Amino acid sequence: MFGWLERNPFFFAVGVFVVIAFAGLIEIVPDFAQQSRPVAGAKPYDLLRLAGRQVYIKDSCNACHSQLIRPFKIETDRYGMYSLNGEYAYDRPFLWGSKRTGPDLHRVGNYRTSDWHANHMWDPTSVVPGSIMPAYKHMFTNVTDLETAYAEALTVKKVFNVPYDKDIDGDGKIDVPLGSFEEAKQRALQDALKIAQETKRKDLVEMVKAGKIPEIVALIAYLNGLK
Amino acid sequence: MYFGLIVFLTFVLYGYIFHLYRSEKRGERDYEKYGKIALDDELTSKPIEPIEEETKKESK
Amino acid sequence: MHNPNHAIEYDYTVAKWFSYLAILYGIVGMGVGVLIAFQLAFPELNYIFGEYSLFSRLRPVHTNTVAFGFTLSGIFATWYYVGQRVLKVSMAESKFLMTVGKLHFWLYFIGSLLAVASLLVRYTTSKEYAQFEWPFDIVVVLIWVLWGISIFGLIGIRREKTLYISMWYYIATFLGVAMLYLFNNMEVPTYFVAGMGDFFHSVSMYAGTNDALVQWWYGHNAVAFVFTVPIIAMIYYYLPKESGQPVYSYKLSLLSFWGLMFVYLWAGGHHLIYSTVPDWMQTMGSVFSVILILPSWGSALNMLLTMKGEWGQLKENPLIKFMVLASTFYMLSTLEGPIQSIKSVNALAHFTDWIPGHVHDGTLGWVGFMIIAAIMHMAPRFYKREIYSKKLLEMQFWLQTTGIVLYFSSMWIAGITQGMMWRAVDQYGNLAYSFIDTVTVLHPYYTLRGIGGLFYFIGLFMWAYNFYKTMTASKELKEEPTFASPMAA
Repeated sequence: MFGWLERNPFFFAVGVFVVIAFAGLIEIVPDFAQQSRPVAGAKPYDLLRLAGRQVYIKDSCNACHSQLIRPFKIETDRYGMYSLNGEYAYDRPFLWGSKRTGPDLHRVGNYRTSDWHANHMWDPTSVVPGSIMPAYKHMFTNVTDLETAYAEALTVKKVFNVPYDKDIDGDGKIDVPLGSFEEAKQRALQDALKIAQETKRKDLVEMVKAGKIPEIVALIAYLNGLK
Repeated sequence: MYFGLIVFLTFVLYGYIFHLYRSEKRGERDYEKYGKIALDDELTSKPIEPIEEETKKESK
Repeated sequence: MHNPNHAIEYDYTVAKWFSYLAILYGIVGMGVGVLIAFQLAFPELNYIFGEYSLFSRLRPVHTNTVAFGFTLSGIFATWYYVGQRVLKVSMAESKFLMTVGKLHFWLYFIGSLLAVASLLVRYTTSKEYAQFEWPFDIVVVLIWVLWGISIFGLIGIRREKTLYISMWYYIATFLGVAMLYLFNNMEVPTYFVAGMGDFFHSVSMYAGTNDALVQWWYGHNAVAFVFTVPIIAMIYYYLPKESGQPVYSYKLSLLSFWGLMFVYLWAGGHHLIYSTVPDWMQTMGSVFSVILILPSWGSALNMLLTMKGEWGQLKENPLIKFMVLASTFYMLSTLEGPIQSIKSVNALAHFTDWIPGHVHDGTLGWVGFMIIAAIMHMAPRFYKREIYSKKLLEMQFWLQTTGIVLYFSSMWIAGITQGMMWRAVDQYGNLAYSFIDTVTVLHPYYTLRGIGGLFYFIGLFMWAYNFYKTMTASKELKEEPTFASPMAA
């Protein structure tokens, strides 16, 4: 009955493929449309936050930090409300992580401040004694790549209909404006200046005033937005 | 539905095992001889089932 | 029946090249692994090469170098050896396949070097084991197509009609990885849409929960089709060949093969338990992970039973030692995995060090040992010389085994300790520990893990030295050995 498969490589390969593709079809495809629906109030990332998210990815923060709060009391006590499916609708890629060498960050914006983050990223043990996280000093001098962030925002807007420049909640106002690169950049610089001032570090403020956003500022904007 | 699926898969699995042993018992096929392919694998050694005999074997 | 081409011999050129690469990437990848292991115990080590040695930068370098450098090189090396032998056809008989094989090697070598370098300079998609950005994904696809041509080309000119067990697993590796890699790496390069920004940057086709679903369907099964399936292909050839014992049951191998193919792909959901994917998928992932014990143990027992009545060889032959222990570690990790997939256990184990512990008793014990044994089995055939030192091989075996035991036992304790501390509450129901308490407590276990890794790493140098000496300075053999590999004391 099946013996001929091992002698006919072509049909053998087809057989293997059918058997392994089966699970993917049944598990993944049916839920695709439903899963991508955003929860009420979810909004796409503005330019500065998106740039910060790219910094988060570039230095693989997700290698040690999760962004997924599981529905247990011990987790909601520690990190806040458990994570909802629709909150991730604009996350490309997802950043759940698989290992908590450090704590979860999905709602870190609720309980940490800009100056805390700046101090922490400059010297983790200064705010968390005993921390094994390394310092990320290069983020204080590297300039954020706003162009790539804008390219990503424009791409998801065009290709995946992510609602930039749209009224999402129906209050007659545009929720997350993007516009041209120059417009978006000016907005990002304003946001960045506010955060740089909150960090109480002069060097960061001066860089932003000179039109360059340090990576750390973009990253903090992203982290502050995680709520 | 899950119950039906489990019964079906169990049936397929046992059916396959039954088929393997029955065809060997009836002398239709000797599966274990293929294990020798790994041991007797010199370029000069005789294949267990040479490719030329394809048409003869298949008609059985 | 006589063979008209008796003057032709098997051609091991490409197999040799990939073996060198396996040794090189093994040392590089695991060296990085040892460094980052010690970084968790001694954070000052993060700064030895400035920003390029930060833990988060190096972790993807470690996983990718070991999975796609060391392991894939080992897979390709054994394929270019086993493939010819079980199909009874030499690569020297086809100029075309020889060219494809060499092209495959060079494209892989250059591509993998550049890809690893790209991770160091922060090009990453962040998806685990799929970090490479889109230009490298295209290179990966090309490498894979070349390998496919090599597999099916060699099959096309074979003399042995029936495909041996190892061949099924190599074919499954090829198809499985092709399917998984393509779908998980669907991404849109932003430069082409927006006309600005970084040329290398791309954005995932899937968002949020969907992305997670596809990623772990991939992530889990990349483990299946890189760390399991092709390694089974190896052991089904090398263990019988080295011991001179035919495989215990061909029928059992048929059952385990189709069983593994059917069940493995469902198990990815166990990475997403208590996440925001639908409950039924989490349950499926959990249930199928438990069922997965059956085909996994089928293969492993088949291997151990192959040694039936020949256990004396275990004492005499260090290569048999490596392979039998590999099967044993395979059984251990395929039991441990399902246990971790049970929902209540997963609630404790997920996000802790128990998970890397589990991965490493599979990779160090099963994958690493099998590749080491395979390459040492091939060395005397490559160079027509005996293995340089049996004693060194024995020492390597015991040192590395000790290393693995230190590794997984410390990670078991670390993982369960941390998991318990995260959930500990005082008499009023308040959390008993702050997060940092659960980190500092791990220091001794992190140190111990680093030492375990170091043992294994030192073993790699013994392996490389033994291989090099076999190649250059060992006693020459008149003809290729049939079964047990000859070795000097």
